[in-house]
Amino acid sequence: MDADAGLHGGERKVRFDLAAWLARFGTIVSLGVLLVVFSLARSDVFPTVDNLLNIMNQVSILGTMAFGLTVCLVMGLFDLSIAAMATLGGYVATFLLVTYPDSVGVPLAVIVSLGVAAIIGIGNGLIVSYLGISAFIATLATGSIITGAMLGISNSKTIITGIPDEFMIIGQGAVYGVSNPIIIMLAIGLILWLLLEHTQLGRHLYAIGGSAEASRLSGIAVKRYAPIALAICALCAGLGGLMAASVLGAGRPQGVGDTYLLNAFAAVFIGASSLRPGKFHIVGTLIGVMLIGVINNGLSILGVPTYWQYIVQGVLLIVALFSAGLLTMRRR
Amino acid sequence: MSSSNAQTAPSRTDGAEVATSDPEVVLEVRGVVKDFPGTRALDDVDLAVRRGEVHALLGENGAGKSTLIRVICGASRPTAGALFVGGQLVEFASPQQAQALGIAVVHQHFNLAPQLSVAENLFLSRSLPRRAGIFVNWSETRRQAEKLLARVGLNIDPMTEVSQLRPDESAMVAIAKAIGSDAKIIILDEPTSALLPAEVSILFGHMRRLASEGHSFLYVSHRLAEVFEIADRVTVLRDGKRAGAWARADLSRRTVIEAIVGAGKPWIEDAAAAKSPSGAAILVAEDLAGGRVESLSFELRAGEILGFAGLPGSGAEEALDLLFARNPVRRGLLKMNGRASTLRTPRDAKNAGLALVPKNRHAESLLPGASVRENISLPNLNRFVTDPFARFIHRGRESAEARRIAVRLAIRMPSLEASIDSLSGGNQQKAILGRWLSSGAKIFMLNSPTAAVDIGAKAEIYRLIREIAASGAGVIFTSTEVEEFPRVCQRVSVFRDGRIAGELSGADATETNIMQLAVGGADGR
Repeated sequence: MDADAGLHGGERKVRFDLAAWLARFGTIVSLGVLLVVFSLARSDVFPTVDNLLNIMNQVSILGTMAFGLTVCLVMGLFDLSIAAMATLGGYVATFLLVTYPDSVGVPLAVIVSLGVAAIIGIGNGLIVSYLGISAFIATLATGSIITGAMLGISNSKTIITGIPDEFMIIGQGAVYGVSNPIIIMLAIGLILWLLLEHTQLGRHLYAIGGSAEASRLSGIAVKRYAPIALAICALCAGLGGLMAASVLGAGRPQGVGDTYLLNAFAAVFIGASSLRPGKFHIVGTLIGVMLIGVINNGLSILGVPTYWQYIVQGVLLIVALFSAGLLTMRRR
Repeated sequence: MSSSNAQTAPSRTDGAEVATSDPEVVLEVRGVVKDFPGTRALDDVDLAVRRGEVHALLGENGAGKSTLIRVICGASRPTAGALFVGGQLVEFASPQQAQALGIAVVHQHFNLAPQLSVAENLFLSRSLPRRAGIFVNWSETRRQAEKLLARVGLNIDPMTEVSQLRPDESAMVAIAKAIGSDAKIIILDEPTSALLPAEVSILFGHMRRLASEGHSFLYVSHRLAEVFEIADRVTVLRDGKRAGAWARADLSRRTVIEAIVGAGKPWIEDAAAAKSPSGAAILVAEDLAGGRVESLSFELRAGEILGFAGLPGSGAEEALDLLFARNPVRRGLLKMNGRASTLRTPRDAKNAGLALVPKNRHAESLLPGASVRENISLPNLNRFVTDPFARFIHRGRESAEARRIAVRLAIRMPSLEASIDSLSGGNQQKAILGRWLSSGAKIFMLNSPTAAVDIGAKAEIYRLIREIAASGAGVIFTSTEVEEFPRVCQRVSVFRDGRIAGELSGADATETNIMQLAVGGADGR
């Protein structure tokens, strides 16, 4: 640190800047305020370990999908196929288990369904990189194709009977009182945090998201990265759907992922306005996910009608993005 | 130079703000001064444009041309001096007022909306003809547009989308738009930069005809050959002052170039002091072609600083992109250290030891919002990888290397983790150069590395380029500012029409000689 002490030219004066501080810590502060408010309002129910685990369990599927989405947004790619991909993840696994009960075990069913999701994700990436179609449109299209395929294969029938009990363990089991979905979400979060923050792949994803041309001229093979990022995102979405199927004990061919689509984007964008304004990152996404979980849980404990949850979430998203945008705008 | 001054210099008596008596003068700029904090962009500039003339305005980047145009078209108010339009003293508070008096500017990229039709573009600044005051009257729009296009002699369907037009047609549409708003004085700012030679002559034909009908043009260009072809009169600006003005009959290529670059400009000694090293060639190109580069053959030796000079579009800048495999190669051979090499992507080029510092720092080289460290290590992350599978980055080694580079290049920054956006332009550029120093590149290709950099940092970057060469690497340098070549390079290859038109080295590599070669043609006038 002393080596460059003489270089500190002090081109910017350091003084307290409330707007900048709020852009950085605003979401964490609001999470804290909400925790305090809900705890005071229902001190018997809200501030308990059980309820904390309950909140985390409720957001585990959302969190898993949002972490995956963070990876492709880092590179600047919107993945709108995550809703369909989640439906696919759950349906393919239950379909295989029920159709081939003798030859397909739970591990194989999980591997195949996630594999299918990942391959479609790679396909998304190839479309983006080599056909030059924007990810937003490409994934909207593949999402539609997946939805159609699922409805066709299933004849619009939900799989309920014949799902082995071992499959339910994924969503309903627990270790030392911590439910498996929480463990899965945290594990995925840790892996993707390591990937984004500490590996060459992650650094290149951030670089491409910052400036694709600068990255290309620095010798990064830019086109190879969209398939990787979208495959990771698809895999996480498929895993989320698989967890949902396991929790429900049913393989629905439609609509599983739709409830998570907007919330996943909301969580990631709230995250991008936390700690490192303007940047997508896993810790921020976790904050966004928890914020959504706490609001929904707290409001329902207070007995506030469900529709308020949607309204509050929408308002929160706008406030978070506005405060982050304010900082980015002033930087120019 | 002053003796060849053909302007009728009006005698200036303070307070007597009367236009020149010549009724043919439609626009007169007299004694205009424009100060910006710390600099005087225009210093006592005079200019007179006559009815029906094409008046060329020349000068290097930063000579004050754009400032003068901004003053004339009402976008900026002069600190002192007077403006006369048709003999009347005017003061413009806004570009709209200038337009109302018949002054229109056609910018380099013509300011047309490419997705709209020609007719819609012609009416962009006015409202379209209406029916019942609400609905657009398309048949009337079409009729009026056709009339306007006929006036500029352009034979195209007014419903054509502008994006479908050839560049010269776009230029004419922009001029038609100016005429449609009753412009008498049309300022053309580098209108030919996107045009092919054949398209330029079409444009000039139209301009001559419009001039003979009484329209006046103020024509700004870098391309001297064109100026000699079209201009009735030439005014040269240098360092914010008028360096000379001539009527067509008095024009000579040599005097104009000397006025632009400054005659007898002192030779900057620390420039190409050293002669080109005679070591082995590390990079050889034979008949390389691609994009605007028609044929490129050259040799670069270790420790050499080679300049690629040329007017915009001559292929000098494009040659760097081509060598870095940024643009596809049509044909030709590239040899590095005596071995033929095929570079298909920038990645291949980087792995072969090439480095490219592109011209536009913000669009092509910086990682905005990222730290100084991340910007320096961008192409070098593989050096800090700890394991072959997950490819974790060793942050400590990465920071140490970035710090070493920052100290070596004296990058002034709040800290290594500060955002690159918080650094000055010069320090940002040093970080970009440091990126490639750290990568151990052997051939540095620098496109305008001192663009938008303050004077102090400029000197540091020049010194750095010399250090890079002294360490045994080869440097190819190009710049939009011709004056930089004698300062930086030991040898200069001058491009014209996609080929190297000539080579200058040592004391012959003066700004004037480079310009002569770049402009080309016989020195007859």
